[in-house]
Amino acid sequence: MTTTLSRARTAPPAPPPTGRPFRRLGERLAPYAYIAPFFVIFAVFGLFPLLFTFYVALFDWNPIGDHTFIGMDNFTRMLEDPRFWNAAGNTVSIWFLSTVPQLALALLLAHVLNHARLRFALFFRMSVLVPYITSVAATTIVFAQLFDRDYGLLNWLLGLVGVEAIDFTQSTWGSHVLIATMVLWRWFGYTTLLYLASLQAIPRDVFEAAAIDGASGWKQFRHITIPSLRPVIIFTVVTSTIGGLQIFTEPLLLSRSAPLTCGPIRQCQTLTLFLYEQGFGQFQFGYGSAIGVALFVLVVVVALINYLLSTRIRAER
Amino acid sequence: MKLRTAVPVALAAALVLAGCSPGSGGDAAGTGDGKSFEFWSFTGINQKASVDAYKAKHPDIEVKLTEVGTSVETAQSLTTALAGGKVPDLVLIQGDDLPKFVQQAQNFIDLRTLGADDIKGDYLDWVMSQSTAEGGEILGVPTDVGGMAVAYRTDLFAAAGLPTDREAVGALWPTWDAFIETGKTYKAATGKAFVDNAATSVFYQSVNQGPQKYYDDKGGVVYGSSPQVRTAFDQALKAVDAGITAGQSSFSNGWSAGMAQGQFATLAAPSWMLNAIRSNAPDTKGKWDIAVIPGKSGNWGGSYLAIPKRAKNPQAAWNYIKEMQSPQSQLEHFVDSGSLPTTPSVYQDPALAGHKDPFFSDAPTGTIYTSSLLGLKPFVIGPDSSTIGQEFLNAITNVEQGGGDPTKAWDEALKNIKTAIGK
Repeated sequence: MTTTLSRARTAPPAPPPTGRPFRRLGERLAPYAYIAPFFVIFAVFGLFPLLFTFYVALFDWNPIGDHTFIGMDNFTRMLEDPRFWNAAGNTVSIWFLSTVPQLALALLLAHVLNHARLRFALFFRMSVLVPYITSVAATTIVFAQLFDRDYGLLNWLLGLVGVEAIDFTQSTWGSHVLIATMVLWRWFGYTTLLYLASLQAIPRDVFEAAAIDGASGWKQFRHITIPSLRPVIIFTVVTSTIGGLQIFTEPLLLSRSAPLTCGPIRQCQTLTLFLYEQGFGQFQFGYGSAIGVALFVLVVVVALINYLLSTRIRAER
Repeated sequence: MKLRTAVPVALAAALVLAGCSPGSGGDAAGTGDGKSFEFWSFTGINQKASVDAYKAKHPDIEVKLTEVGTSVETAQSLTTALAGGKVPDLVLIQGDDLPKFVQQAQNFIDLRTLGADDIKGDYLDWVMSQSTAEGGEILGVPTDVGGMAVAYRTDLFAAAGLPTDREAVGALWPTWDAFIETGKTYKAATGKAFVDNAATSVFYQSVNQGPQKYYDDKGGVVYGSSPQVRTAFDQALKAVDAGITAGQSSFSNGWSAGMAQGQFATLAAPSWMLNAIRSNAPDTKGKWDIAVIPGKSGNWGGSYLAIPKRAKNPQAAWNYIKEMQSPQSQLEHFVDSGSLPTTPSVYQDPALAGHKDPFFSDAPTGTIYTSSLLGLKPFVIGPDSSTIGQEFLNAITNVEQGGGDPTKAWDEALKNIKTAIGK
C-alpha cells in the first residue's frame, strides 16, 4: 500500500503539452459541437415557444391587433371560468378511461404474445402496431362513422338485438368512451410491444421453475410477470398520461356542428381544444397561453409524481 | 454539466429569435413583379372558375390560388399570417368572420386608395357597409350574397299528400309557425322527419330575417333583449318539440347520409347550399325543388375579397377584383357556379332571371334568391356575432340531440354567451 503510494508520488510528471492551446480548446469544445444541433433546435422550437407562452399569458393579446399588459388577469379569469374546469374534468376523465384499460389490455396481450407455444408470434407482434401507424385523423373519421347514431355499424348491431340507438357524440359519457376507445385503439399496440420487450428480458427458466413448482398461468403472471415489468409499467403510465393530457385531434374532428367545443355543451372539449378555441377561434392569444401554462403545470406535476414513484421503486429493489 | 451549458445556449438563441421576430419579417408592400399574385380562398365556393377565366383573358398573369380549407380555417390561417407570417396578395373572407378583421383595419389596404370609390356604387349598400371600417376605410369587395330559400323533396312531399308545385309549397308556409304545422302534417302522414335540424334550418334562418340581430345600430350588444332573437329561438324549440326534425347537424356525416337517403324532406338552402346538396346527394337529382322561405326574405352568408397591408402585389390583386367582381363577371360566375351576385344592376338580366337549375326541377334560382334579398332589412354584424350565434345554436342542438331541458335553454345560452364574450 505504502509502496504504491510512494511510487505514484515519485512518478515522473506528465510530459508537457505539445499541441497549440487553440487545438486543445477545439478538442475540448468538440463534444459540445456534436450535441449542439439538438440543443439549438430544441431552443428554437421547444424552449423559445415555451418561454414566449409564459410572456404572452400576461397580456390581452390580439394576434392582429393590440397587446395590452394585464398581469395575472388571464389566470384569475381562467380559475373562475367554468369552461376551463369543464375541460380539465373532461381531460382527466378521457385520460383515465383510455389509460387504465389500455395498460391492462397491453399487459395481458404481451403475456400471451410471449407464450412459448404461440405460433406465428412475429405476425401477431407486428400487427398490433398497425393502429399506431395509422393517421389519427383517419382513425377518428372511421370511428365517428362506426359510432354514428343513425347510420353507424355499432348502433345497427345493437338494433339487431333490440337495443335503442345510442348517440355517442351528444352525451358526456358517450363521447368520452368514444374518444377513449380511439386512444386505446391507437396506443395499446405500442404499449404491448414495450411490455413484450421487457418480458423477453426475463429468463425463461424462471417461468419454467415456477411451472415445475406447480404455479398456474395466473400465478406466474401475478408473481413473475408484473413484478419484473414494474419499471416499464411506470414508464408507460407516465408517457400515456402526458399524451392523454394533450388529446386534441380526436375531439376536434368528432363534432361537426360545434368542432371547437366538441359538441353543444362542451361535453368532450379537452384542455388543448379549449386552448385552441380561445387562441385561434376567439383571437385571445393571451388567454390561450394562460391555458397552455396551466397544462404545462399539470404535466410537470405528473412528471414529479412519476419521479417520486420511480425512485421509491428503485430503492425497494 | 450538460444542462448547465445547454441553458445559456438556449437562452441566447431565444433572445436572438425574440430580437428579430417582431415585424422584421420585413416584406415591404408592393415589392412583387406587379402582375402575378397569390390568392387564398376556401373550399366549396369554386373561385377556381373565376381564376381560370381571368387567366384565359390574361395569359401573361400568374395567379397562385390556394384553397386553404373551410371558411373558418381560411380565416384562422389569415389571422396567423397577419400576426407575423407570409401573407397572400388577395384573400377571400366569409361574412361572419369579417367583423373581426374590419375591427383591425390597419392590417388591410384601404381599397379607396386603389379606386374603390369608383365602383362601390355597383354593390348592394348594406353588403358594402359590412366591409367598411369605422373610419370609412373600404376593406373588402363583396363576391356573393346568400339569399335564402327552402329546398324540398318533391317525391317525399307527394308521398305525404302535400302539394309539390313550388308556388303552392311556398304558400303552405307564409310564417315559421305555418312551416312547423306543415311539418306536423308530413310527420303524421309518413312518420318521418320533416326538416334536417332546428338549429340551422329554423333558428339561423329566422334570426337572419329581422332588422336587428345581436347588435343595435350603434354597435351595442342586444342579443338578450332583441325580440327577433327570442322569437327565432322559441320557434326552433317549438320545431324540436313538435318532433319534426331529424336531429342531423349541418355538414355532419349523418346529415350527408340522411340527405342522400331521404331521412328528411326539407332543409334551409341559402344559395351556396345548393352546391352542398348536389355533391352530397348526387343520386337525388331532379327530386328536389326550391320554395320561398317562411317570412319571404333573408340573407345568410356571403364573402368578400380583401388585400392585406403587407401584400407584395396589391395592384395586381386589385386589377383582379375590379375585373372579376364587376356586375357582368358576377353574372357570369352565377351562371357557372350559382353564387348570387352582389350587384343589383344584373338582377333583371335574363341570364339571371331566366336561369333554371335542372338538379332542382328547373327551379328559377336566380329569381327566387334575388327576390329574397329585395325585401331585406339589413342588420349590424359585430365582432362577436359568430360566437353569439354559435352559443344559441349549441343551446338548441343540446335540446334537440342531447336531451337538454327546453325551459332552461334560453337562460343557459345567455349565460354561456356572457362567459364567452364578457358582456
